[in-house]
Amino acid sequence: MKIVERLTKIDRRIIYLVLAIVVLIPLISRSPERVRVMPPVEKLYNAVDTIPKDKVLIIDFGYAPQDMPELEPMGFALLRHAFEKRIKVLALCLYVQPLGLAQKALTEVTEEFNSVAQSNTDSIIYGRDYVFLGWQPPPLIPMLGMGISITNVYPADYYGNKTDTLSLMKDVKNYNDVALLVSLSAGSIPRHWVAYAQNRFGVAVAAGVTAVSAADFYQYYQTGQFTGLMTGMKGAAEYEELVETRLNIKKSRKASEALPSLTYGHLVMIAFIIIGNIGYFVQRKRRQK
Amino acid sequence: MSISLSPWIWISALLSLAVFSFLYKDNPFYRFAEHLFIGVANGYAVTFYYHNILVPTLFDPLFRQGKLLYIIPFIIGILYFTRFIPRISWLVRIPIGITIGYYVGASIPATTQAFIIKQIQGTVLTSTNFQAWNAGSWGIVWSVIVFIGVFCSLSYFYFSKEHKGVLGVTSRIGILFVMIGFGAAFGYTVMARISLLIGRLQFLLGDWLGIIQ
Repeated sequence: MKIVERLTKIDRRIIYLVLAIVVLIPLISRSPERVRVMPPVEKLYNAVDTIPKDKVLIIDFGYAPQDMPELEPMGFALLRHAFEKRIKVLALCLYVQPLGLAQKALTEVTEEFNSVAQSNTDSIIYGRDYVFLGWQPPPLIPMLGMGISITNVYPADYYGNKTDTLSLMKDVKNYNDVALLVSLSAGSIPRHWVAYAQNRFGVAVAAGVTAVSAADFYQYYQTGQFTGLMTGMKGAAEYEELVETRLNIKKSRKASEALPSLTYGHLVMIAFIIIGNIGYFVQRKRRQK
Repeated sequence: MSISLSPWIWISALLSLAVFSFLYKDNPFYRFAEHLFIGVANGYAVTFYYHNILVPTLFDPLFRQGKLLYIIPFIIGILYFTRFIPRISWLVRIPIGITIGYYVGASIPATTQAFIIKQIQGTVLTSTNFQAWNAGSWGIVWSVIVFIGVFCSLSYFYFSKEHKGVLGVTSRIGILFVMIGFGAAFGYTVMARISLLIGRLQFLLGDWLGIIQ
């Protein structure tokens, strides 16, 4: 019985240590894991894939450093998909913290494409293929204002260029020219895009959210308010899988590489929960005797 | 294996380890990292808001370009600071009232439509909702489960009548759905937290130590 008592009183530091080892080993050994793509992610992929040439994709980069492991791979995969298919992208942020991370994603993915480009047509060019609108507070202003005029809400882009002078913006006036808006966020912002941009202007909205908030968003996917949904690192890995298998883009897949660690980490957590429960019920039974 | 030579990577890595040290127990390294983070975050926010909001959207138009209409938002903004002067602190109600009025006016119709009406539509048993699952005849089953779940969960939160009889049955079923919801949310929370750990380990092993690519 002493074993049971010990199991219920495992030092939390031992749990941390076991978890760290279990997560660490697959990262170093790089054991691959098959990624099974679920319908919410596939729908998002298909929605991006079928964006017409005369429409744009808006990506709201809403992740801060603490959300990077889950949301940054989504941003990279989305940009790779859009740039590969030559879909025009408008990037924006509703808060200050994600600005640098959005710029990082745009710069790195642009460099990936331009490093192998043969000509100007193959290249991804700022102002022609994508525009980084930057940040315009408070969030409600761009959400509603872009329904009237995007250049009015963002007279200058992130780099200080006048947006109405950029070639991409000449054909993009408001939400009528937007095929899909994808919000990558750790908070409630995707719901607000639905409430303000979709409800009033009819723009299609999809979301990439952290796992901790996933349960709050599935109902919007079920009702069709979200065109597609990516949740957590698993959702990011699924989109990476689609980009690699369907577009044959073989680049770093941070979310997919982390999946084995995620799986084993979960198994350890389940094991500890079972051990804790066994200990609890055995002790309760003893007390009742 | 190629250890990073970038000082920024080293600072980031050492601060990450300092924060991780809290898992063992509270210590000066953790407290240093925590205080540094709060200081840097606040300093960054204050300077960023000043240079990117106050200067271009208020100070420049008002004081440099002489657009006198901007005096109105300037005064409304200044009124927030009257909270520090007890004799005229009541004036703070003006900017608060304007802000609340604007947001309430904008949000009530939008959120009612998006969060209540659309969600109710999604719960009603219609052929459109059955097909939305893309699951063939199983779409009916999933829709019925959602309907029962919503109905019973709502009945659990109906406190004006004692939970006996039919209400007792539906509320007990409702609590099952609520518990399943909590379980799903907890599972996702575990996933999110482990993802954060993985992200940091990817940085430490990859960007810092160069053990993984």
